[in-house]
Amino acid sequence: MSRLRKEQLVGLLMVSPALILLAVFFLYPLVNSFYMSFHKWPLFGKPKWVGLDNYIFMFQDERFWESLKFTFVYTLTVTPMLFIVALGTALLCNAKAWGTTFFRSIYFLPVVMSFATASYVWLWLYSEMYGVIIYALEFFGFGGEKKNLNVWKTGTSSMWAVNAMVTWKFSGIQMIILIAGLQAIRDDYYEASKLMGASRWQTIWNVTLPLLRPSIALALILSIAGSIQAYEQFVIMTRGGPSNSTKTLVMHTVDMGFDYFKLGPAASLGVIIMIILFVLTVIQLRLFRKNY
Amino acid sequence: MRRYSSDWYWYYAINYTLVIIIIFPIYWTLISSFKKPSELITSEPTFYPHDLTLQYYDQIWNFDRIKVLQDTETVDTNSSGVEVEEKFRLDGEGVKRPFINSAIVSAGTIILTIIVCTLGGYALTVLNTPFKNFFFLLVILPILIPGISLIIPLYKLLKEIGLTNSHLGLILIHTCGMLPLGIFMMRNAFNSIPTSLREVAMLEGSSELKIITSVMLPLAIPGLLTVMVFAMYVSWNDYIYAFIFINSPENTMLNISLMKIALGGSQFEMKWGSLTAGSIVSFLPIIIFYTFLQQYFVRGVTGSAVKE
Repeated sequence: MSRLRKEQLVGLLMVSPALILLAVFFLYPLVNSFYMSFHKWPLFGKPKWVGLDNYIFMFQDERFWESLKFTFVYTLTVTPMLFIVALGTALLCNAKAWGTTFFRSIYFLPVVMSFATASYVWLWLYSEMYGVIIYALEFFGFGGEKKNLNVWKTGTSSMWAVNAMVTWKFSGIQMIILIAGLQAIRDDYYEASKLMGASRWQTIWNVTLPLLRPSIALALILSIAGSIQAYEQFVIMTRGGPSNSTKTLVMHTVDMGFDYFKLGPAASLGVIIMIILFVLTVIQLRLFRKNY
Repeated sequence: MRRYSSDWYWYYAINYTLVIIIIFPIYWTLISSFKKPSELITSEPTFYPHDLTLQYYDQIWNFDRIKVLQDTETVDTNSSGVEVEEKFRLDGEGVKRPFINSAIVSAGTIILTIIVCTLGGYALTVLNTPFKNFFFLLVILPILIPGISLIIPLYKLLKEIGLTNSHLGLILIHTCGMLPLGIFMMRNAFNSIPTSLREVAMLEGSSELKIITSVMLPLAIPGLLTVMVFAMYVSWNDYIYAFIFINSPENTMLNISLMKIALGGSQFEMKWGSLTAGSIVSFLPIIIFYTFLQQYFVRGVTGSAVKE
């Protein structure tokens, strides 16, 4: 056996664990999710071809539209919050100053905490009677005379409470992406801007932000794609309540599949989520390629 | 921002305020987990604990729910179901077993990811593997379709191959999820190593596996650490897979067992004390990783964003 031939064989052997894993735990479920979405899955017996029935069932279900709407509202509110904090901290950390490494590592710290743990931590901070945030809010006069503030009382206040947690938890990721973008901007631009007598805000607005556009686009797309997949934070903090007003698409899928055992419609929901995320990721990749 | 001292005051004032805001929830959880019940459950919060106690840590670590349930069932056979339910709620949840389960899954994911990604990255970079570029694209493909949208077919697959309710099932799924970032990182790492090193080793008659472990890997350590840190991050922090694929109390993962504490409990001091202690227990391993390997977390984030 020639040396080249042997090397090829060794190469195939080495890459095969990755390919087998990929085939079993990604490609097969991927194909199967389409197959499942076109079949009816009774608890016993064989699956039956039903065409688009699962999709029709799902689209006629009011809960689907409610969860879709809520997921979009959540995405549209949390994305600007995340972005503003991330941009602010990124600019602060990019200054030529003492301590930026320290600040950056603190701002990134909540990212490493698990989403579930962060939710439990904030559940305690928001606790109706003994939570420190509630205490502070009531101290400043929220919740009226009786001091019976409860952020979980309405869907809207629940969502903002979760948004605050997510901003605390996740702005660090976007900050890192924006810092990477900021570091790629050459000093000449700032010097030219200084020579022309621009103020600091003018420099940020007219020099930094336009040059940072690719990183900004990337950070936004990542945040949108992440928010569409929202699950843990709502399962733990609101449990979808009050009265299903904070139920996300993924939660609806999980309920459909594992509470109502409607595997067909659940699989079709998965396909819908897949398509939404696929489109977003393709946009992300195109943005990235165009600008770098 | 550089020349005027008043600007510097503002710069540090803003930064330190943010640092306090970021740290506060963690600090508050930490001190809450050590407060005595009377101090924990009060409408006048104290900002540092006056009296330290380890009772919640003792409670959640040493509590064995399965044993208590069995005892309750065998001893109080005459009592009504309500009381069993009450007992179940009051005593909460032990996190020792879930902690070990999570550690097993994380360790398994880290080891398997490193092996699979090192071999794969090596074959797709250094060696003359046929269909190299096609295989690489295939391995990168899952970026386009996050695993969360495949949750239903994944569950069915695990059922078919008998891996629901098993640690191995979770390890395999996490490892598969790590493939794009892992192979990408290892490929970059191997790419930056000069090929002449391998040729010298081959002339000395080393086998391919020997070359990887003794020549290539020592030079690819930054990439390897990034992959390791992310495998840890993904597996330790997972919630949805652990929630759906595991359903027996013996195999529960840590994040799920905390949910049981959060849901249960008519006794507030036990519930909040245990939940804050549990949160700290779950945060501890990952914060240790972060303290020592911080730069690799950052590298992984920029890396995963830049994945072609």
